[in-house]
Formats: sequence, structure tokens, C-alpha cells
Amino acid sequence: MPARSYTDVSDQQVVVFAQEGREDAYRELIKRYERPVFSLIYRMVRDKETSEDLAQETFIKVLNNIDRYRPEFKFSSWLFKIANNITIDHLRRRQVDTISIEGSPNAITAESARATAVTVTSGGESPLEELESRELGAEIEKAIARLRPEYRACIILRHVEDYSYDEIAEIVKLPLGTVKTYIHRARQELRQYLGDLR
Amino acid sequence: MIEHDFDEEFVPIAAELQRLPYLSPSRDFADRVIARIDRLQPARIAPVTAARHLEVHRGGQRAVVPRRQVSVLRATGRATAGVALIAAAAFMFFEIDVLTAILSAAVTQYAFTIAAVGTQIGALVLGSETIAYLQAGALQAIILYMALAFGLICGYAGIRTAAQIARQKAA
Repeated sequence: MPARSYTDVSDQQVVVFAQEGREDAYRELIKRYERPVFSLIYRMVRDKETSEDLAQETFIKVLNNIDRYRPEFKFSSWLFKIANNITIDHLRRRQVDTISIEGSPNAITAESARATAVTVTSGGESPLEELESRELGAEIEKAIARLRPEYRACIILRHVEDYSYDEIAEIVKLPLGTVKTYIHRARQELRQYLGDLR
Repeated sequence: MIEHDFDEEFVPIAAELQRLPYLSPSRDFADRVIARIDRLQPARIAPVTAARHLEVHRGGQRAVVPRRQVSVLRATGRATAGVALIAAAAFMFFEIDVLTAILSAAVTQYAFTIAAVGTQIGALVLGSETIAYLQAGALQAIILYMALAFGLICGYAGIRTAAQIARQKAA
């Protein structure tokens, strides 16, 4: 089957092609969401290798069950829902809470820390802007890491992924009121942690 | 863009959150995922599985090549030879009497048949009402025995507990 271009093709349509067994459609779905899913998971578990494993598990679960996808929901919501479930399960099993964007908290040497550090995609800024942005970004990352995992998921979905409260409630499987409370508290805590910077 | 539903103090933080870059997994991430998508595997590994009796396990997916059909006659021959060998070995090592072996095998095999036939004959000789009466009696007896066993266990447990309490008090 020749590979086709999926530019301007909606997620729902790509899913239909994937349901027909087209490998290029599967690859397209991975290409579209590997970075958002990996970022969400990484910001929750703070370890590159674990994040890769969990992201991989998420995609395998979703793509192996692609026939069960219901088109009335956003594909990304379904994907994030699975990612969140898998990550929360992992966090419940292992109480990982250590923070470092510079590398795995389990890294002992500088070399292993470098090896486990994540690749941050540049947004095309000047070197100075990039440095400033990186510093601020690192502070935000640290502040997010200090939040409770449930708060982290909600605040990232709200402010990084632009999801509505209803969609977040659906993704994290919590009542709407709880989601609103979590986001409110997460904002308060972030403001408190980042207070010294302003 | 999300609606503005937070106070002014959070605006710069929200802006920075939105500017957070996406992080990238390893370059071979997609390949590793694709390698474990069940639906995409059979076509891919088909050429590898040409050898007979080869089972390929890849990423939780199992591709099994159908075994070549063994003729019924040959299979029967092999099974008979196997059973004969095991029986011969058993006779040699345990010195089993042939007649006893045949009788015990027959009894084991036909136990249910014997029980069913026995019940039918019993019903004919004694009448179905008598059999029903006996069966009901047997049920009552089972319940009685169970109650007795329960009472015994409870009594024993009570005596042990009392003894333990007495021992503790004495200590």
C-alpha cells in the first residue's frame, strides 16, 4: 500500500485509515502526538526513561484498541486519558516525586544525567531569548514538579494543552467541581512557588 | 485559546505555561511502538515463518504456522505404542497382576455405568418411592453429620479458647 500524505487530514480520518490497517496512518498518529503525550508524562514523572516507557505503553494500548475508538470524542482526549491513567497508576505504584529537567533523579554520574536529560525543542528564538526562556521554563518546570500529580495533570492539560474544564474532567475521570478545585489550587501553589521570581 | 478565568497575578505564569516547549522522546520511538502493534505484525513476519513448527513471539503477538497434518493411522499407531510401552514398564517395575489390572481398569472406566445400572435395578426391585425415600434419608443423614461436625469444631474451638484464657490469667 503506497504511503499517502496526511497533511490537512483530521485525526478522525487518520484513525479510519489506521482501522483499515494502514501502517502510515499509525505512524501519522504517533508523529502528531508523541511529543504532547511524552511531555505530559515527563512533567508528571520527571524521568526520561520512565516517561518513554509509559508513553510507549500509552500508544501501544491506544493503537492496539483503535477499533474501539468512538469518533464522537476527540482522539487526543482519548489518548491523553489513557496516558493519564497509565501515569497515575505508575505514580501510585512508585512514589516518584523528585525533580530535575537536567536528567534522571536516579542518575549517579554527570554523564548518566546528561544521557537521561530530555531534548527540548527550540521555538526559533535568538540565543539570548532562548536562554531566558529556558531559565524561566526551568523554574516553571520545577514549580510544576512540586505540585501533586493530580494537580500537575490538570494544570498541564488546562494551560499547556488548552483543554476545557469539561474535557479535563473527562480525561482525568474526576467530577467537574474537583477539576476546578485542583486547577485553582495548582494556580495558587504555582504563584506561591514562583513568587520570588516576579 | 482558553478563556481568561484567573486573576491578574496568574496571567504571566499562564503565558509562560503556554510557552513551555514540547519534549521529544527518542528518535526510534515510533518504530518501537509500531513493532508492538498487533495488527501490523502478521504481514510483516510472514516470510520469516516459512519453516515448519516455528512459533514467533514478537511484542506480545504470536504468529503460529499451522503444523503439517499427521495421518490418523500414524498418530493412532504412535499412541498405541506409547501406551504399550508405559504399561509394560509398569508391569515390570510394580509386578502388577494382569487380571487385577484389567478388572481395576474396567471398574474405573465403567464406574458411572455400573452406578447408573445399579440405581435402575434398585428402582425396579424396591420401587421408585423406596429409592426416593432412601435418597431423602441420605440427604437428612448428610445434614445431620455436617451439623455434628460443625458442633464438634465449635466445641473444640471453645475449649481451646477457654484454656488459653485460663493460661493467660494464670501467667
